[in-house]
Amino acid sequence: MQGKSAVVGIGETRYYKRGQSPKTEFQLASEAITKAVADAGLELKDIDGFSSYMESRNDPGRLSAALGMKNVAFAAQPWGGGGNGVAASVGLADAAVSAGYAKNVVVFRALAQGQFGRFGQSKPATHAHGNNAFSATYGMLSPAHTCALQTTRFMHEYGITQDSLAEIALTAHAHAQLNPRAIRYGKPLTREEYHASRWIAKPFHIYDCCPENDGATAIVVTSIDRARDLKQKPVPILAAAQGLGQRDGALQFNEPSFPTSFNSEVGQQIWQRSGITPKDVQVAQFYENFTGPVLMAIAEMGFCEKEEINEFVANGNLQGPNAKLPINTSGGNLAEGYMHGFELINEAVRQVRGDSTCQVADVEHSLVVSGPGYSPGSAVLFSKD
Amino acid sequence: MQRYMPDWWALPALNDNNKAFFTSGKIVVQTCKSCQTAQHPPEDVCHVCQETSFDWQTCSGEGVVYSHTVVEHPIPGTLKDRVPYTVILVSLNDHPEIRILGNPVNIDPNKVEVGQKVKAVFETIEDEKAGVTLKIPQWEVI
Repeated sequence: MQGKSAVVGIGETRYYKRGQSPKTEFQLASEAITKAVADAGLELKDIDGFSSYMESRNDPGRLSAALGMKNVAFAAQPWGGGGNGVAASVGLADAAVSAGYAKNVVVFRALAQGQFGRFGQSKPATHAHGNNAFSATYGMLSPAHTCALQTTRFMHEYGITQDSLAEIALTAHAHAQLNPRAIRYGKPLTREEYHASRWIAKPFHIYDCCPENDGATAIVVTSIDRARDLKQKPVPILAAAQGLGQRDGALQFNEPSFPTSFNSEVGQQIWQRSGITPKDVQVAQFYENFTGPVLMAIAEMGFCEKEEINEFVANGNLQGPNAKLPINTSGGNLAEGYMHGFELINEAVRQVRGDSTCQVADVEHSLVVSGPGYSPGSAVLFSKD
Repeated sequence: MQRYMPDWWALPALNDNNKAFFTSGKIVVQTCKSCQTAQHPPEDVCHVCQETSFDWQTCSGEGVVYSHTVVEHPIPGTLKDRVPYTVILVSLNDHPEIRILGNPVNIDPNKVEVGQKVKAVFETIEDEKAGVTLKIPQWEVI
């Protein structure tokens, strides 16, 4: 909070197509963590805290035992069933370090869906239980369906066009062409190809939907004082926030604010805690589960009014280092690799360090907004030291 | 009437909170005995007064399409012969703040639009495994 902690190391494995990692998920996690610690100029034994999200299968006990840590002083995950936890997990590390509960906290996400099976799938069963009875009974099954229902209403209320959805996919693919790590490197996407591509759940074409990939990414968070003695230029955490508005957590699309990305409250908190405004942000990473909720998140974070989205995202306003608001500069979930959104954290840190493959000039503030449309929402804001 | 989803598709597992919704043959909403607040989906606690005793209020069964999606890609793949199908979110005329999911049973999946008026109909299904007769709410565009 307010720059008391900073990111001092980042690491990632190679990103693989889903199911193609030759390594286990635990090996991927270990590799990304080891690289992030080395990047910081620390040793594995210096790490005394862990944070992740969405019920990580790589628990801190097993990791600390395997990686040679001397002690664990902090281990936590936020609630939430998806990418809404990306920034929240960094916020936990920030809180732990700022409070002095731990010195050097690793935050990470690792996925090997070949080993463990896929997300977003619904196994056929004879009965739908609990709240699922009200949705699965009718074929409302996957995150694509949930976000499509949100997006249809959003488009209807605010006159959002299919081309505005396309802008998010086109931006991600354009930025991936600059990034050799990206799964979609060398595979550009045109507007015509986008519109001609097959439907998944209307209004989503296949290019509106994030793919699934195998790999891992990690960062190391430490106090700003320790950070200044380490190898890399510190990237302070200026503000982090989680949030929901009143009854935003009501189930089955009964939240009064529907359709929402669950970011209105998050945005207010981020700007209040940091003392800056959206105009002071030079570059942002928005978790793309699907393109529609990204548009909601851009507006709910305060970058424009919902009625202004079509023009805010048009004319290349999101694309390239000189854009009005460059977003997802590494290619993001859609085109760099779906590390469940954590690759966005590494990219936001790179933008402050100055070594992105789509580097924005003079970055003072670099924002990450977590998985929209799943509650509670979260975001984290990095700054220059 | 024939089921909108395939015959083999998952049925609702009944519990105290959803039994009236899936068996009464009417559109019913959970209503707090203490403060009369209506809410959906049924919850264990009233979101206004936090009391825990409820009645079921019968609604007219009329509403409007609040949102929709046409599912084209089958998840799971066993639905490949059923796509495209449409899921709608219906706002009830009696309680516009309450929204209920369902399928539009009498219209081309691609002709559903926000704002269309709909009326509840019910799929009667014998759940032999559970030993119960279900009346699953669905919607006709009127």
